[in-house]
Amino acid sequence: MLEIENIAKTFHAGTPNEVRALRGVSLKIEPGSFVIVIGTNGSGKSTLLNAVAGSFIVDTGRLKLKGHEITRWPEHRRAQFIGRVFQNPFSGTAPSMTIAENLALAAKRGRARGLGWALGSAVKTDLYERVRAMGLGLEDRLDHAIGSLSGGRRQSLTLLMAGLLKPDLLLLDEHTAALDPKSADQVIRLTEEMIRRDKLTTMMVTHSMHQAANLGDRLIMMVQGRVLHDFQGAEKQRLSPEDLLARFEEVRCSEQLDETAAEMLSRQYV
Amino acid sequence: MTLLVGSFTMGLILSLLALGVLISFRVLSFRDLTVDGSITLGGSVAAILLASGWNPWLATLMAFFAGAIAGTTTGILATRFQINGLLAGILVMTGLYSVNLRVMGKSNLPLMKESTLVTFAQSFASSEAKWSFGRWEVSVQDICVVVMVAGLISSVALLMYAFFRTNLGLAMRAAGDNDQMIRALGVEVGWMMTFGLALSNALVALAGALLVQYQGFADVQMGIGMVVWGFASVIIGESLVGSRQIGLLLVGAVMGSILFRLLVAIALRWGLNPNDLKLVTAVFVFAALVLPDAITHLRKRMATT
Repeated sequence: MLEIENIAKTFHAGTPNEVRALRGVSLKIEPGSFVIVIGTNGSGKSTLLNAVAGSFIVDTGRLKLKGHEITRWPEHRRAQFIGRVFQNPFSGTAPSMTIAENLALAAKRGRARGLGWALGSAVKTDLYERVRAMGLGLEDRLDHAIGSLSGGRRQSLTLLMAGLLKPDLLLLDEHTAALDPKSADQVIRLTEEMIRRDKLTTMMVTHSMHQAANLGDRLIMMVQGRVLHDFQGAEKQRLSPEDLLARFEEVRCSEQLDETAAEMLSRQYV
Repeated sequence: MTLLVGSFTMGLILSLLALGVLISFRVLSFRDLTVDGSITLGGSVAAILLASGWNPWLATLMAFFAGAIAGTTTGILATRFQINGLLAGILVMTGLYSVNLRVMGKSNLPLMKESTLVTFAQSFASSEAKWSFGRWEVSVQDICVVVMVAGLISSVALLMYAFFRTNLGLAMRAAGDNDQMIRALGVEVGWMMTFGLALSNALVALAGALLVQYQGFADVQMGIGMVVWGFASVIIGESLVGSRQIGLLLVGAVMGSILFRLLVAIALRWGLNPNDLKLVTAVFVFAALVLPDAITHLRKRMATT
């Protein structure tokens, strides 16, 4: 489904603010798999998702999605395959437009937009049913501006919008990090339901060790722009939040050494 | 009374300007200064075509397209060449000054005996016909002009309302509201902005074309300060309808334009020096932009103390 081949990205190259956000990441993601991505701050986990989504073009390496070489595709073109939910609940919806209008926009993700009515009666009934199925009681407020809703509800709707057209790849970038615990649980429940029901191929970045241990069938741990661990199958299922925290502790200890020093040491002694 | 009908007609014509500014200023959140140039462009194109004997409907339509080209240029400068939006507008506006002189061949072009949309409307009544309302008398020809302009503006507003409810129109509104979101949904924001600016300036040029036919001449200076008039109309309209819903915003912009024009007429009648008009307008827009925030700020402080 998705093939990431040795991609690298450096921001602000040649300036004092240079950040080597991705330093050669390779991954092959099978259709239908649910991949959790964790890592320390600045490890490049969100950058990895943005690279796949096309927020920027990678410096080196290749990206292949559904058989298409998408390395040089702009973001809006990749959108035909990709549904996204952002960390900031305000990023995924147009605040001054109504709930129904936002959903209608998502119902045309990656497709030609012409002069047909955006909210014909068939579309409206369909959207009504979809929103009702979420069980948040928003189905009778479809004509309200989405900006008047709480962050949690907006994020639930963004999730619905991302999954509306069954994307080939769903990208979730810490989509519960900015929510209160109750809303976060609700959004996670909706996420699980949607992924299971539609068998969506998913990459989900998270800060929560609890989510990382309980969700998904594969777990990738990133450190300093590289993939450090890649747990799959039974190995992934055995992982507990405590195991993951222990792995982070290892990383923290090794990071106390300067990176080049660590490399030198490993060459000499390992 | 004639003054009242005159200001009303002017307000109606300039509501096309307000509708155009509404698209760039509110829908796209783009401060587009091309307007000062494109309203004159519309006026000059219509005037020169009318002077060379074109059908007035066709001449007006060509002005519309000329405005669309001006808007497209600003859009391309701002999106493809990544020039700051304000600067892109200023560049095109400045360039248009020369273009407008070229189009007209001189700085002022009177329309004396040419048949225009206004003479067309007037042809439905004789020049002596009067209607009297109590002690006021109104020329029926003037009424005919108002009716034609009102019909034109209503159709434009209705078309815009319909457009903003289509898939394409929705995408344009979203591009101004949250570009990150709409990009993730597969819309190229740069193209959408350019298209919106083309539409906006086409409407502004249409206002210019009607204005020239109504006042009977085109002048290369006629656009100065027009963008601020547009802002003023949009802002007045918003406070009149008190909503950001697109349908009401459209109605508000038309109402705002008419009300603004009437206020100007009254102020002039009371002895406001016409030379001060632009300064007064600018101060008004400044106040309208700053006061709402200042008031909420004050209220908050009052509430906390």
